[in-house]
Amino acid sequence: MVTEPMADPISVIHRIATQNRDAFSQFYDRYSPIVYSLALRMLKAQSDAEDLLQEVFLQVWRQATAYSVERGSPEAWLINIARSRAIDKLRSMRRREKSFVLTDDPAAAESPDNVETSAGESETRLIMNSALANLPEAQRRVLELAYFDGLSQTEIAARLAEPLGTVKTRMRAGILRLRGMLGTQAA
Amino acid sequence: MATEHEYWLERGDIYALDALDGDELKEFQAHLGSNCAICAAYLRETRETLNLLHRALRPVTPRPEVKARVLDEIRNERVVSIATPQPKQATRWLRITGTIAAGIIGFVVAGTYYQYRYERRRLDSAVITLLRDPSTRDLPLYGAGPSPEARGRFLWNNSGEGHIFVANLPSVPEGKTYAVWTIARNSTPRYVGAIAIDANGQGTAHIKSTPSGSPPETFAVSLEDEGTTATPAGPIVLISKQS
Repeated sequence: MVTEPMADPISVIHRIATQNRDAFSQFYDRYSPIVYSLALRMLKAQSDAEDLLQEVFLQVWRQATAYSVERGSPEAWLINIARSRAIDKLRSMRRREKSFVLTDDPAAAESPDNVETSAGESETRLIMNSALANLPEAQRRVLELAYFDGLSQTEIAARLAEPLGTVKTRMRAGILRLRGMLGTQAA
Repeated sequence: MATEHEYWLERGDIYALDALDGDELKEFQAHLGSNCAICAAYLRETRETLNLLHRALRPVTPRPEVKARVLDEIRNERVVSIATPQPKQATRWLRITGTIAAGIIGFVVAGTYYQYRYERRRLDSAVITLLRDPSTRDLPLYGAGPSPEARGRFLWNNSGEGHIFVANLPSVPEGKTYAVWTIARNSTPRYVGAIAIDANGQGTAHIKSTPSGSPPETFAVSLEDEGTTATPAGPIVLISKQS
């Protein structure tokens, strides 16, 4: 199934801010697959990912008036909300040492019919995977542990049994390299 | 720019990843708090780049039930805020007040009082509706952690609506709040609201939350920093299952 193009996302958020449910529904349809895939990647368990998805979009509904372009593109704003909440949950889980059923690649378990994509999105995914693949393994590893697993620099150092300074250097080098490869693209 | 600010920008990169911690995190947050425009702009740009990383993942369509739950929730919020049937007198009073209060300061005080009464009636009605529903659970809450003497009661319906009563809770320290959580099997706690207490340690709160995929099995109140809604970090002061 191909994702239908949506009107300018900023104007859609402004309509959501006026409690327009049609605009909200449109926004959800457009962005829920990317938020959900991120939630699955980070939290692993489907029920947790679904709960996170709900929480994120309810926050959008309640706080759409707080959105401004200074916060980044609507997609960046949304992903920030989702990552922030997911990291809070992950850190809480670690504190409580709760165990979950892990799936390495939740997206891979989905049937192709359940995946919305467009040619543009596929191309973007290829570009991103290519950018990540072009990072030195050590830099990619620390970025993924921070971005997708929500680990802090100290936790990453412990996980990899590397000095904290080394981890910081790799993170910074990885980010700078990504910036160079991708630039700052409007989402 | 980068030379002068290299020290902060190094930290800014790691902060943008949410990976900065310890004293460095506090230090950088303090620096951001000084309204450093350079770091704010750099941070925004870095986040824009990092927030492209999720695009490496293949989008996955969530189950339609999730959207239905979200839409139900926002529909309920709207109904509660503008369309809940109320006693005729209160409705008429509110309509009149809404028309003229903008220009008459004195009405604000009276409006507050009547709003309070209106809200009380609405909550009373909501609790009665909960109690009438045979699927509503009535769960005792027991004191825990620093508050063994605390007691409470939680009316809960799996539609996501509930009402909590608490007693014997210690006063809330500055900057803290009592947060209410529901916990389903194999899931993380879900924040469903906050509860304020009076000088006697008593309080009540009506809960309207999004229905969860799995019905909660445990209910708890914890003492948290104000604004905490993602995950509990403070001590549990009341819990539905006696430990």
